[in-house]
Order: sequence, then structure tokens, then C-alpha cells
Amino acid sequence: MRLTRRTLLSLAAATTALSMAVPLRAADAPIVVGATVPTTGPLSLTGKQYFNTLTMAAEDINAAGGINGRPLKLAIEDAGASNSTAVSAFVKLIQDTKPPFAFITSYSTQNLAVAPEVAKAAIPVMYAGGADAVAEGGNSWMFRIRPADSVTARAMVQFLKAKLRAAKPGIVYIQNDFGQGGAQVAAKQLEALGVPVVGTEAYGQNDKDFSAQLLSLRAKGADVILAFVYPADGALLLRQAKMLGLKMPILSSSAAFVPAAMQLLSPGDLDNVWGVVDAFVDPSAGERMKDFATRYKTKFGTDADPYGLAYYDGAMLMADGMRKVGTHPKALRDWLAAVKGWDGVGHVYSFDGKGNGVTDVAVVKAKPGTKTLELLERVKLD
Amino acid sequence: MADFIQLLMNGLALGSVYALAAIGFVIVYSATGVVNFAAGQFVMLGTFAGVATLVNGGWSLPAGYLGALAAMALFGALFYAVVYLPLRNSPAVTMIIGTVAIGITLQNAALLGFGSWPFRLVSPFEGMTVDIAGAVVPVHAIAVVVTTAVLIGLLWLLFNRTTLGIAMRAVAQDLVAARLMGLKVGALLAFTWILAAVLAGVAGLMLGPMWFADVNMGDPIALKAFAATIIGGFGSLPGAIAGGLFVGLTEVLGAAYVSSAYKDLIAFGAMILFLLLRPQGVFGERIQDRG
Repeated sequence: MRLTRRTLLSLAAATTALSMAVPLRAADAPIVVGATVPTTGPLSLTGKQYFNTLTMAAEDINAAGGINGRPLKLAIEDAGASNSTAVSAFVKLIQDTKPPFAFITSYSTQNLAVAPEVAKAAIPVMYAGGADAVAEGGNSWMFRIRPADSVTARAMVQFLKAKLRAAKPGIVYIQNDFGQGGAQVAAKQLEALGVPVVGTEAYGQNDKDFSAQLLSLRAKGADVILAFVYPADGALLLRQAKMLGLKMPILSSSAAFVPAAMQLLSPGDLDNVWGVVDAFVDPSAGERMKDFATRYKTKFGTDADPYGLAYYDGAMLMADGMRKVGTHPKALRDWLAAVKGWDGVGHVYSFDGKGNGVTDVAVVKAKPGTKTLELLERVKLD
Repeated sequence: MADFIQLLMNGLALGSVYALAAIGFVIVYSATGVVNFAAGQFVMLGTFAGVATLVNGGWSLPAGYLGALAAMALFGALFYAVVYLPLRNSPAVTMIIGTVAIGITLQNAALLGFGSWPFRLVSPFEGMTVDIAGAVVPVHAIAVVVTTAVLIGLLWLLFNRTTLGIAMRAVAQDLVAARLMGLKVGALLAFTWILAAVLAGVAGLMLGPMWFADVNMGDPIALKAFAATIIGGFGSLPGAIAGGLFVGLTEVLGAAYVSSAYKDLIAFGAMILFLLLRPQGVFGERIQDRG
């Protein structure tokens, strides 16, 4: 083809027009945020909750005008129930969508496994695994949106000593990073308070019979049992404790009080049982909580739990950051790292040097003869 | 002593369920040569058949149990027709992968159908306990042990005193010879799958009130039933029973008296020892003895 002046001018005009059109399209294009969520397998029990709340948060963000006019879009991958699946899901997310930000799961073992990939991807992520080991890893791209297990364990110990007046506590825990970490912190704290633990019993993630552990603690003279549990096994443990005729109080970690676990229990199973939960997700806990809890129930047909709430707050916090500093990963990370006193629905978020954003929990108990939880106190730890 | 009795009863109840799942393994393996890796999901399906009739359907207990077992029988027949028949002449590894694939499919189908939340399946003996020498033993646990014992007795009668059972044993021993003798091999194999599915259904219905109905409950059952089968002897019904009880008791007593953190190591360690030192298990026959 012969290149004439006219052709050259046409090409130049077309190029100019295209270069003007592309930024316009980019300005309207959705911001894709990644999320790895366990939607299949045993972890989907809680995964489903934050699948729902992330979806709800994206809708709320878009209804409020998106991120400075650009809509937010979620790209969700199934993290399954194993570390390898969680890592693969995250890597796929990064390769396929190159998001400026991502949410990863609420399971510490998966968080630990994914952490090196987060560092490689160099994008900020929010996670809800409780194990202190995740934050201790020193990955500056990771931000925790739930209380660390040490916070929960310390709150449990405080309550156990002050209100339950335990002299010989026993501990039962699920055998993973979450349970082991929580049990170790609790045992150390109790030791420091001069209340030595009389027995510590573990159980596997797939275990369904806790009679050996519970009877062993009773035989060792435990006057209170601290339980670090996941939802379904937590409910089963509380139920079996009653079936075995255990009379001592049980103080359980958050998961036994999520709606998925509570619907398995009868009021009698909750007699003499206290819970240290991440947040008191109940319409009575204020107007914003009422709005969140009511809308969630209307939309999804079930009650919301603290895990779902953590991701809802996380998404709102992320959107706030994107509106203020844009979507460049480093700018967003630096903004998040500097967040202090950000008022969410469930907590007031302030990130410390290790990326821990939440330092308060709630103590709850079922009203006598019912399964309705009431808030006994909020515990704020430094 | 009271604690020991309590643990013993819990171990026996748990072992009874493992034994039933292991019997399902053995019946199918003996008759068809197939190691059914979906056996755990069969039990899960039995529990969820109960959820469908008793919880979702609101049926009475007798109707719910019968409905659930009928559904399991139908499922066994379907499994025979849709999975076993097309794969029966394939290499063993194809069949194994086929059962694994079906297991995963069943689990995810249950997740889609019933959701990820567990269900509470009510026991006919809900809240009932008996005091045995100071031990508070749930009546449901005793009922599980008794039901399993009765079923084992019925199975013994079936295999030793009925024409149908003897024909099933003939098929298990030599399929070609059984066919040459005029036995309806296809129907007998179909009945084997139906029987395995119904036994898994009974195990599932008994487990539901003990564990909660959970779509992920199949995997741990399959693992323990597999260990029970190895320890008792692959292909041996008494072996499946002994193995199941051994694994159940080891799980509970090992956690109480050895270590709750390493209790599974005891059962699976025993399985590995058997594989190394006595691969035919306690009651199993050596392969050459079969011929």
C-alpha cells in the first residue's frame, strides 16, 4: 500500500480518537476486587456467610455511586477446604483478574498458606483468620478484620477469672492453628493469673465424639471448660457435654454461637454456657447493626454472623480507601495501615503495625430457657 | 469406673456405625470386586434421606425411617445400573476412580440440595439416658449397638440360611460358575448394591442424631470404615464387625487414656501395622486361599 499524506492524516486522527476513547472507557470500567471464599466443603458453613455479605456490600457500594463513579465488581474463587485449594484459588484470581485488592478466607491455616502469594502479588488483602501466627509473619499487605485469637483468649480468661471465678479451668480445643494458638494463649494467661489449667484436651477437625475429652476434664476436676471450637463441632461439643451430665460452666469461642451452630442446639444445651464472640450481631445492638442484620435476613433468609459482618465492614473500609487514594495497591495498603478509629457496623477498626484491626469482643449468654442471646459485656483490649 | 463404662458405650456405638459402613464395603467387594470409595457418602446420603423425610417432610418416625430406607434401596439400584454396570468390565483403577468421582458428586449434590448448614436429626430416644453404675449412657447409643447386633444376626441368617444369601455367596466366590449354574447373576449383583446402600442408610439414620447431619460427614466415616476393613480383613464380614468395633473403641478409649491429640494415630497406626505384617487382616483369607 502506498502511504500518502491523506492516509497518514487519517491514521493520526484515528489514533487520537482512540487514545481519547480508551481513558473514557477505563473511567467507566468496573473495579474488579478479588475474593477467595470457601463455597464448597466443610468450611463453606461460614464461607457462605461472607459470600453473602461481600455480595451485599458490593451492591451497597454501587448503590451509593460506586468508587468515585466506577462500579465495583467481585471476582470470587472457591477456596475449598484445603490450603492447596486456597492457594490455587488466590493465584488464579491474581492471574485472571489482576485485582488491586482481595479478600481471603476466615481460616488461619489457609491464610498462612496464602500469605507468601499475597506478598508476591503485592496487593492489600483483608482476612479473618484469628491465629496470631498470621500477623506475626510480618506480611505488610495483610489486614485482619476480626479479633486475633489472642484477643479472644485474653477476654475469655478475664471473664473466667472475674465472673465465673474459676479455680481449676480445663481447655478443649480444635487441633489446628486457631485452636492450638487460642489454647496456648489462654493457658499462659491463666498461669500468669495464678490459675493453672488442670487439663488440656484436643480434638481433630473431623471428630464427632468428644466424650473422652470432656470426661477427662471432668476427671481432672475442671470447674470451668474453655472451648476453642468451629461451628458444627462446637454445637456438638456443647450438646454432648449436656448428654454426659457435665455440670460445670462452659465458656466457648465465637463459632459455637453463629446461627449455623445455634440452630442445632436446644435451649437446654445452652444452659450454663457463655460465649466470647467477635461481635454481637443483633438488631438490639444499635441502629446500624439493626439495618445490617435486618437487610441480611430479608435478603438471604438466615441470620447474619460475625464472620459475615467482618467482611461487610472490610468491604466498606476498602471502598472508603479506594475513594480517597484510588486503586493503586501500594497507596491503598499505606492508607489502610494508617487507619485509626474507622467506625464500622461491628467494630471500630484501627490497624496496628502487624495489620490487626480489631481489639474488642463481646460476651454473650442465652436468656434462661431460650436460645436468644443477650449481650453481657463488651471487652476492649489493648 | 463410671467414666470407663460411659466411654465404652460411646466407643461401642461409634464402632457399631463404623462396622455397618465396613460391612457395606465388604459385601460389595466380595460380590463385585469393587472397592467402593463412595461408601462414606452412602452413609451421608442415608442421613440426608432421613433429613428429607423427617425434618423437611415432617413425616412420623416410622414412616420417615421406612421412606429413607426405601430411597436408599432405590439409590443402590440406581448406582448398580448407572455406575457399576457401565464400568464393570473396566480396569480396577477405572472403577476406583469412578466410585471416587461419584462420591464427590454425591457430596456436592447434597451441598446444593440441602445447603452447608448441618441439620439436627431427632432420635426416637431423644434426651433419654440410663444410669449404668454411675455412668449416664444415652439410650440412643444402646439402641445403635443393639440395632447393629440385630442387623448382623439378620445378615448371618441371610447368607447362611436363605437361598438368596447362598446364591449371593456363590456369585461372590465365582461369578462365572454361578452364571453357569443358572443363577441370575445380574439380579444378585443388583441386590448386593441395594443391600449395601440400605445398610449405609441404617448407619446414616443412626448417626444423624449422634453427629448432626452434615454433607461432609461421609469422608471421616469412609476413612474409619476403610481402616476397620483392613484391620478386620478385606472380604470378611466378622472382620468388618471386629474392625469397626476396634476402631470405634480405639478412638474413644485412646483419646481418654492415651492422648486426645494422637488418638487417630492409634487406629491408623494399627491399620499400617496390619498392612505391613498381616495384610489379610484378622479374619481375612489370603488371596491364594480363595482359589
